[in-house]
Amino acid sequence: MVTQNRNPARLKGIWRGKDQGRVRRLGEYLFVAPAVVFIVLLMIYPLIYNLYLSVRDVNVGTFLSGNAPFVGLQNYEQVLGDPTFRHSLLISFVFTGASLLFQFIIGFALALFFHRPFPGNGVMRSLLLLGWLLPLVVSASVWKWLLDGDYGVVNYLLQSLGLVHGRQYWLTNPDTALGGVIGANIWLGIPFNAVLLLAGLQGISESLYEAAKVDGAGGWQRFRYITLPQMRPVSLTVLLLGFVYTFKVFDVIFIMTGGGPATATTTLPILTYNQTFQFFTFGTGAATATLLLIISLTLSVAYLLLIRREEAT
Amino acid sequence: MSTLGSLHRRGYGKTLAGILIMAVYLFPVYWMVVTSLKPYKEIFAVPPKIFPDPATFGPYISTVINDPDVHRAIANSVIISVGAMLLTLVLGVPAAYALARLRLRFTGVVLLALLASQMLPAINLSVPLFVLFKYIGLINTYPGLILADTTFVLPFSIIILRPFFLGIPGELEDAAMVDGCSRLGAFWRVVLPLAIPGLLTVGALALVLVWGEFVFGLTLTISNNMQPITVALNRFIGQYGTQWNKLMAVSTTVALPVVLLFAGAQRYIVSGLTAGATKE
Repeated sequence: MVTQNRNPARLKGIWRGKDQGRVRRLGEYLFVAPAVVFIVLLMIYPLIYNLYLSVRDVNVGTFLSGNAPFVGLQNYEQVLGDPTFRHSLLISFVFTGASLLFQFIIGFALALFFHRPFPGNGVMRSLLLLGWLLPLVVSASVWKWLLDGDYGVVNYLLQSLGLVHGRQYWLTNPDTALGGVIGANIWLGIPFNAVLLLAGLQGISESLYEAAKVDGAGGWQRFRYITLPQMRPVSLTVLLLGFVYTFKVFDVIFIMTGGGPATATTTLPILTYNQTFQFFTFGTGAATATLLLIISLTLSVAYLLLIRREEAT
Repeated sequence: MSTLGSLHRRGYGKTLAGILIMAVYLFPVYWMVVTSLKPYKEIFAVPPKIFPDPATFGPYISTVINDPDVHRAIANSVIISVGAMLLTLVLGVPAAYALARLRLRFTGVVLLALLASQMLPAINLSVPLFVLFKYIGLINTYPGLILADTTFVLPFSIIILRPFFLGIPGELEDAAMVDGCSRLGAFWRVVLPLAIPGLLTVGALALVLVWGEFVFGLTLTISNNMQPITVALNRFIGQYGTQWNKLMAVSTTVALPVVLLFAGAQRYIVSGLTAGATKE
């Protein structure tokens, strides 16, 4: 936080009296007003409207007439009692958990690798970011091609190594489709993890390592007793943020498998989409969306509390 | 062995390992470009050819150059990206400035809300926005898509911009106002020019993110001719079937502006990405 060092005497010269101070305040509120109005109208109001939809029976017929009957919590009961919802919830957690685990481990390893300077380090780090910036649609299309059953490179490599026999249709086989989209998503998330963890590594005081060296600690011991404990807060931040961002992934799955085959890769965001835009059951779609939001919000709050605590210390 | 040893001593051993790691990591990107330069028959070669031989621009000519559907989708994306970027700047810059100058409890609440909104799944907004936009006729329109896309770039833009304004001393505006500038004049003539690096960061990031946006483009359009290129690309997957070279040609074309922007404004984008991903 930058504290503003204003000269009170000079301020008085400009703002004579309290009234003008108030005018100034008002000016500042006017500066922020358009953005606040936008956020209220296009984000907060729609979220509230979503709650309204979730307690009404909105389908194709009632949608057009605009007076859908109030049904209380019936949509929620229907969603929660539906095995496809519980299945999607499970798929969402498996997708998020597996993605995070591998992204984090690989990201951590890369962060350690890039921590110490070497020729070419900067260029390589920039290139790493490129994978993060590429439109998700592009990456997802490329992975669909890489995992293609007939002529995909992944099959060719695995066959050459003798790991796979015959053609594997990764994305159309219900047993492997989830693994396929997780693989692509791990690739996508590595730069995010590596960059944030690298920033964490660079925040560790060099003197800790020097002191440990003087005391005769070896490389592994320095990693085990300095790097790991010092990286705990950053790691927790990265994992929580990663969870929130991974749980809401839609593009990658939608493009690679469309949630299928059948429901093999139907995560909660995909289920919400299907209910709303495929089956036009806006009420149940809104109810599922609300449940998705509650999960995301809980973890977001956990994340915000965490960074608040870090800022305080 | 001795040369390897000396390479290692000068730190080139890590460079070599790094090149290897990057080669593996960037292989998908490489494979996209290589496939886009192959004639149709060559993409089915076993073993797959690492280099396109013979290389051809055929897949680009039949799609990006000659297909009016691709032209239309790219034009849509340009209009939506530039529109959302401008709207983000118009709304976000004054807001970030005011939030940097106002020292009230209000600021903390707004910043927290902005951070939280970053974590909102896009589908959560697209369900109610679809219904609301349907009622007010914004479905399948550029203004509708620009408004929707601004919802996910505006919050982080304010978060990224505020520190830039915090770094500009308030004395500068005070001095300008002593010299007869209005508050707005001081903001426009004194503060804004100093915040140009911040504006570039936000502008570049907004362009990159909106260019790649998919969920709103998918859910808030009805006809093919209003779809952004990201959604059209997904449509082409079905349309082109096994013509992966064509699909990769369009993919490469979609990736190209991002790569160019990244090469040109890397410094700004990188600082923005890390700032947007965590706290300020």
